[in-house]
Amino acid sequence: MNPQLESFRYDDAIVRKFLWATFLWGLIGMTVGLLIALQLAMPALNFDIAWLSFGRLRPLHTNAVIFAFAGNAFFTGAYYSSQRLLKARMFSDLLSRVHFWGWQLIIVLAAVTLPLGFTQAKEYAELEWPIDILIAVVWVIFAVNFFGTIAKRRERHLYVALWFYIASIVTVAILHIFNNLSVPAGPLKSYSIYAGVQDAFMQWWYGHNAVAFFLTTPFLGLMYYFLPKAADKPIFSYRLSILHFWTIVFLYIWAGPHHLHYTALPEWASTLGMVFSVMLWMPSWGGMINGLLTLRGAWKKVVEDPILKFFVVAITAYGMSTFEGPMLSVRSVNALAHYTDWIIAHVHTGALGWNGFLAFGMIYWLAPRLFQTRLHSMKMAELHFWLATFGIILYVTAIYSAGLTQGLMWRAYDVTGRLEYPAFIETVMRLMPMYWVRVAGGALYLTGMVLFGYNLLKTWQTRPATYEEPVIQAAPLGDYEELAAPRPAGALARFAQAAWHRTWERLPVTFTVMVAVAVIVASLFEIIPTFLIKSNVPTIASVKPYTPLELAGRDIYIREGCFNCHSQMIRPLRYETDRYGEYSKPGEFVYDHPFLWGSRRIGPDLAREGGKYPDLWHVRHMEAPRDIEAKSIMPAYPWMLTNALDFDGIQSRVDAMVMLGVPYGPAVNDAPAMARQQARAIAQSIAAQGGPADLSDKEIVAMVAYLQRLGRDLGAQPAATTVGGQ
Amino acid sequence: MSAPHDDDRLLDHSYDGIQEYDNPMPRWWLYIFWGTIVWGVLFWLNVPGIGVGKGRIADYDASVAAAAADMPAEPSAGPDAAALLAASQDPTAVAAGRTVFGAYCSACHGPDGGGVIGPNLTDAYWIHGGSPEAVYHTVNVGVLEKGMPAWGPTLKPDEVNAVVAYVISLQGTTPAAPKAPEGTMDPPADAPSGDS
Ligand code: HEC
Ligand code: HEC
Repeated sequence: MNPQLESFRYDDAIVRKFLWATFLWGLIGMTVGLLIALQLAMPALNFDIAWLSFGRLRPLHTNAVIFAFAGNAFFTGAYYSSQRLLKARMFSDLLSRVHFWGWQLIIVLAAVTLPLGFTQAKEYAELEWPIDILIAVVWVIFAVNFFGTIAKRRERHLYVALWFYIASIVTVAILHIFNNLSVPAGPLKSYSIYAGVQDAFMQWWYGHNAVAFFLTTPFLGLMYYFLPKAADKPIFSYRLSILHFWTIVFLYIWAGPHHLHYTALPEWASTLGMVFSVMLWMPSWGGMINGLLTLRGAWKKVVEDPILKFFVVAITAYGMSTFEGPMLSVRSVNALAHYTDWIIAHVHTGALGWNGFLAFGMIYWLAPRLFQTRLHSMKMAELHFWLATFGIILYVTAIYSAGLTQGLMWRAYDVTGRLEYPAFIETVMRLMPMYWVRVAGGALYLTGMVLFGYNLLKTWQTRPATYEEPVIQAAPLGDYEELAAPRPAGALARFAQAAWHRTWERLPVTFTVMVAVAVIVASLFEIIPTFLIKSNVPTIASVKPYTPLELAGRDIYIREGCFNCHSQMIRPLRYETDRYGEYSKPGEFVYDHPFLWGSRRIGPDLAREGGKYPDLWHVRHMEAPRDIEAKSIMPAYPWMLTNALDFDGIQSRVDAMVMLGVPYGPAVNDAPAMARQQARAIAQSIAAQGGPADLSDKEIVAMVAYLQRLGRDLGAQPAATTVGGQ
Repeated sequence: MSAPHDDDRLLDHSYDGIQEYDNPMPRWWLYIFWGTIVWGVLFWLNVPGIGVGKGRIADYDASVAAAAADMPAEPSAGPDAAALLAASQDPTAVAAGRTVFGAYCSACHGPDGGGVIGPNLTDAYWIHGGSPEAVYHTVNVGVLEKGMPAWGPTLKPDEVNAVVAYVISLQGTTPAAPKAPEGTMDPPADAPSGDS
């Protein structure tokens, strides 16, 4: 060993920055969450203002809590713990700052563009292409900074927390890039390069692994550092860490297609997703066991210490949601739960319980250390804990009941063999009391959040005039000497199992490559057959591209976020086809860049909406849904009747579609004129039915054109639908 | 360390003060894990094309066939004209029909039947005929290409009867904002004048 010690300091200023960002964005993201919960219980709260309407704010809520709150929490903990676990200051202070400010810039851009309606319509990947590029750049900067720190570490072996950080950083980069590949059709508009079934597959490969590698593995890493620190106990089992780490990394990647049971995705793919999800149950519980058993002998401390209480509930919530996840992935359970609030309850157990509570516990532990003072009030932290716990209980019990209620109502038949609740709205009205309970639960959780902020602020106010930056001393890594410290022979044998892993732990490049290989190989096993097997998507001759006007309408549908409330995917289940019509076929979506199958039916499925109602019905319904359906909770879209449609802008959109291989025929050169022609015809039919006189240049005609097209190609004679008439 | 964990053995490393035990993985954990893997392999026997399962589309077709076989035989022609006319004068039937109308029809025909998107149902002019059988038929099978849904498959037989009785009872009432007459004059035989 090199006897010469090096002196250095940790960079805690950057950790303080991330800590405040975590709190701030958490507060904002949860406030938006409370607002959209209120909107579902009281649609008047959409205020008839475009940027405040549910479809636009829901993605803002999810992005804010995932990427802004949980993301910054991960960075807070990772910057603090990595430096200490590696005995090194971050690789570059400049990169740390660029990472911090770059990430906050991305969040601000998201907070502006999402309410303005710029979205790719893919869940948790809504941000448009320029922001996606920025995300990739900032992520790479973070990665360079992180791996640079590993390179100059003074600790030979990597601790388990770091394994989880490595897996997260590598995998998120891969997921982000491949799901967001798209062709721009304007500065803030793009179309996914994948269509229909394949787009859906890629999206849920991404979507499920965003949960895995953004909300699970980073937080397991944080748990492995902050839990033993706060409890002052060793980790229960090193071998369990190894096995559950690698099985999580390898198995998680396959699980995505369980989001697409009974959809047009081939059955083998969703089955693959299902069996891997079930196999994931124990690997996930490995984390929970290692967490809870680390607290053996410390339970008395848990009673007194709100920080450990937060951790215990977080780990328990993790255990519950990782049991529930595999259960929901089982096809028959999924048939009941899919499209209902059950899924919303499931994610909130994870987000509020696991991510939220782990972040709170971690920050309460960090605050006195970072601000070099005492926590302002432990009592207040304790109160925060109880408020938030009751908030979660209220939220999830209400929303589980809502999910079950609606799922059971959708499939109920009466004695005459008809649907018991044929009117969708009946299944919505029944949920209202539960939606109010959710509001109460969310309000409690948010109140806790305010206390949290107050407590942090008060703590910060008592900080010293200048922070001390203690000098740390450690020896640099010399050449590695095998078995430098001789171990007892018996233990060596016992340890033999994990010896190979011990070697990997001092070879970060090998380790990272192994993680990347696990993730990529598992992905390719699913992706290659999905894209290459022709029979996955049998062609349907009568399916034609959208006309230019319909395409414009589809983009309005995307802009308004209608897919947050409406699915376009009828499953081959009798109670679905009795309600909505013929089940959806893979070939119907070959021109759908992006796919719009949706994941939640707050309103009815729209896959076969075309021709169901007269044009005028849609005009009046979009303008004022409650004039048509008194109990509707759909937002009103009056601006569609007044906003002028940008006909000339349609050409660039058609061009982008053509680049993606959509056979547009004459519309390649003539999109605006063709759109105008179709718009006039629709406006005439609206006027003839007794509607407003001239709507031909308004957005509503495009919307109506799109809605009336939905699902009609399947039965159409091949010649009947051509792109805008030839 | 407290007593019950004396057999825990600490590994010789420490990271920023964090240590790890060399405990074995819990047995039950390993067994369930192996169990799920075995189950995962076996489940493939159920996947069409790979195992012996028929798959979701075959299951669906079977469920549709089974339901069709179970469906109670429907009276093909519906109730006769006299019964519908009688119901249109029966306050309970009309009240039941009014509820159905408010829930499913008023969006298009107006709350008082005066017509909005769909035609005025209170006047004596009909596009598809004003006889009780004709109205029953229109309501039952709809006029899909014109935007009048088919209610037979959706509503229960009682509800269809009640709402048809209610529509007949609307004859001769005066809605707030009546739509101009459409179709031809064809009053339901002996149509009672509005007692709604
Ligand atoms: C907050 C959730 C929500 C959003 C956002 C939403 N809807 Fe709805 N939608 C509903 C509900 C609930 C219903 C059922 C009640 C009704 O008819 O209004 C519905 C009904 C509909 C129907 C009638 C379906 C049928 O067959 O009866 C159409 C069409 C529709 N919505 C289109 C849209 C479009 C287009 C958008 C976006 C511009 C949109 N919705 C946004 C909740 C929503
Ligand atoms: C989506 C709008 C819509 C709804 C909802 C609707 N209708 Fe209609 N209805 C129409 C339209 C449009 C017509 C005209 C059809 C035509 O022009 O051939 C019509 C026609 C009719 C006619 C025939 C009128 C005539 O002049 O021959 C009857 C009777 C009728 N509807 C009854 C009902 C009843 C009863 C309900 C509720 C169970 C109902 N409608 C719900 C749109 C609707």
